[in-house]
Amino acid sequence: MALSPFASRSPSVTVASPSSALRLKAAATHHAPGQAVTAKSDPNPERELTEQLNDDVRRKYVKGKKLGEGTYAIVYLGHFRDDPSSCVAIKKIKVNAEYKDGLTMDAIREVKYLQELSHRNVIALHDVFSSKDQNLNLVLEFLPGGDLEMLIKDGDIHYGVGDVKAWMGMLARGVWFCHENFVLHRDIKPNNLLIAADGEVKLADFGLARSFADPYLNMTHQVITRWYRPPELLFGAKQYSGAVDVWSMGMVFAELLLRVPLLAGMSDLDQISKICEAFGTPTEENWPGVTQLANYVTDKAVPLRGREFFLQQFPTAGPVGADLLMSMCVLDPRKRATALQVLQHKWWATEPRPTKNEDLPRKSGTKKMGDDLARRGGETDDGPFKNAARQLDFGGMK
Amino acid sequence: MAANYWASTQRRHWLFTREKLAEVRERLRERDKVTHSQFPLPDQRLLNIYFNQQLIKLGKRMSTRQQAIATAQVYLKRFYTKNEIRQTNPYLVLTTAFYLACKMEECPQHIRFVVGEARGLYPEFITPDVAKLGECEFALISEMSSQLIVHHPYRTLSELQSELPLSSDEVALAWSVINDHYLTDLPLLHPPHIIAIMAIIVAVVFKPSHPGSFGNSAQSALAGAMRDGGGMGMLAALSDKPGSGPPRIQKLVQWLAESEIDIKAVIECTQELLSLYEVWEQYSEKHCKELIGRMVKSKNLDK
Repeated sequence: MALSPFASRSPSVTVASPSSALRLKAAATHHAPGQAVTAKSDPNPERELTEQLNDDVRRKYVKGKKLGEGTYAIVYLGHFRDDPSSCVAIKKIKVNAEYKDGLTMDAIREVKYLQELSHRNVIALHDVFSSKDQNLNLVLEFLPGGDLEMLIKDGDIHYGVGDVKAWMGMLARGVWFCHENFVLHRDIKPNNLLIAADGEVKLADFGLARSFADPYLNMTHQVITRWYRPPELLFGAKQYSGAVDVWSMGMVFAELLLRVPLLAGMSDLDQISKICEAFGTPTEENWPGVTQLANYVTDKAVPLRGREFFLQQFPTAGPVGADLLMSMCVLDPRKRATALQVLQHKWWATEPRPTKNEDLPRKSGTKKMGDDLARRGGETDDGPFKNAARQLDFGGMK
Repeated sequence: MAANYWASTQRRHWLFTREKLAEVRERLRERDKVTHSQFPLPDQRLLNIYFNQQLIKLGKRMSTRQQAIATAQVYLKRFYTKNEIRQTNPYLVLTTAFYLACKMEECPQHIRFVVGEARGLYPEFITPDVAKLGECEFALISEMSSQLIVHHPYRTLSELQSELPLSSDEVALAWSVINDHYLTDLPLLHPPHIIAIMAIIVAVVFKPSHPGSFGNSAQSALAGAMRDGGGMGMLAALSDKPGSGPPRIQKLVQWLAESEIDIKAVIECTQELLSLYEVWEQYSEKHCKELIGRMVKSKNLDK
């Protein structure tokens, strides 16, 4: 809050100040739209300076091969011009040729939040610049280690509880940092958790992120990829909190342990019934107010699962780990653990200790980073399970 | 509000000292003296009043939140620290600031709708081509170095409401004072919590005689009371000797003393507000409209 002098940003992180300058002319002066603007045609010397600034930023980087392409962006490998060994990922936001609809909310959100958030477990935005064809280019931290989904799916990779603890710890710190800064990520899932060369897990894709709403203002419930979506959103809650991200974190935790998605619903309704089967049916007793939610439905009455269920289902986590998972999967969002409570859990201090970054299992995933970054929020790679969350209602959303 | 103000781009890149701001503007003027003498414009604050009225008109039919209007006003200020207003079509820029601010404050409006509204208001200055707005959005974002999050004083106000505590009349008046501060340079000069405190002090000290009569702006309710100077003395006393004045005010003063807030800055903000209310009396919508219209037309900035 504005009154608190406490700064949660780590002082060791230097923040590149992105100084993309603009090409104002087409926008505001007498030039025709789309007309290429050269310094010569501009009578104002300062204009050249602003252009110059942008050019300076652009020239700082060399764009290399294409890493991936999605509906919303193309991702290139790049590096600093004066240091070819330090790589970056350049995410070029596709704008439809004539700017018909302005920049999408995804692009706006990504720039908006990454500009402000700087943390070891959040992908870093080094710079933003515009290119000749008036595209927005985000210069992002290069994360060559692929993503958690790759590691989970790759049968040749063996990992243990210490590794899971290390990854979950990094995820929890990233999510805590976002929440501490009043930002909800709203799309936490294994393929949005990218891995740096040093093994560090980084939260990426802020295309669905938003800041906490003011009390009583509505938000859309059409967020978070279905398998990771909490029951309150499936029931259509329009006011929610960081608890939605904690649920997703719990799903990632379970998936890391089981190496398959815990609740892979085929539709929203199927997702609800899978949640009921797994954890119990939400009722007024275990979740006061739930029956008032717009899309509340249940088909079977499964009693709430107790601790034994989690112990049995996730033996590898150990009893303390099962407790932590259970606290993240509480149906009632008000009783679910917060990101801070997750971090304060005693599981982190029990044996085995989290694996050191350099000893974590890894795999090269340059191509994967390209695809991950090019994807729209809510999209997945698997065609048949295309459980896209994305249906952001542009007009009605508050 | 999102992110941490103390680490924010707003604090690091968009907070000016008075001298720095004057210097920036002088440089813009120096660069294009001819246009400046050719197209005189009213006092910046009067222009701001005019722009604010246009933003409110734009937002009227779209049930826009006050916070989006506030963000749009800050975008305009930031943009015009880097660009000479006489090189732009202010109607396009303000419509774009409005469109982008709505997206930023999570109350997005469709581009066609915004362009439609703007065309309804300024048929001479806004073309039906939505691509124009899209391009201008791009320019606006670039010019602000993609630093888009704006921290506003409203949140601080609502948080302090129960702590102090403030009556609902006082909160409403403080809210209007915050609305008014966007008509000055204060958003570029002081952090939001200073503004919020200023608004609270003004609301408590200069309590208006007719509670509930003020609307979006506190101007009518406050201008007279502040000019009388009765409260200014009390305000000056804040900095040196707490313990005087009515108990209600004493309590506030004590709280302020414990809070370690920069009282000097708060007083400076109050004075800025006071002079805004003085200048306001010269405001003429027609005059602003004519001058801007003449400038845009003769420079062909609307093309």
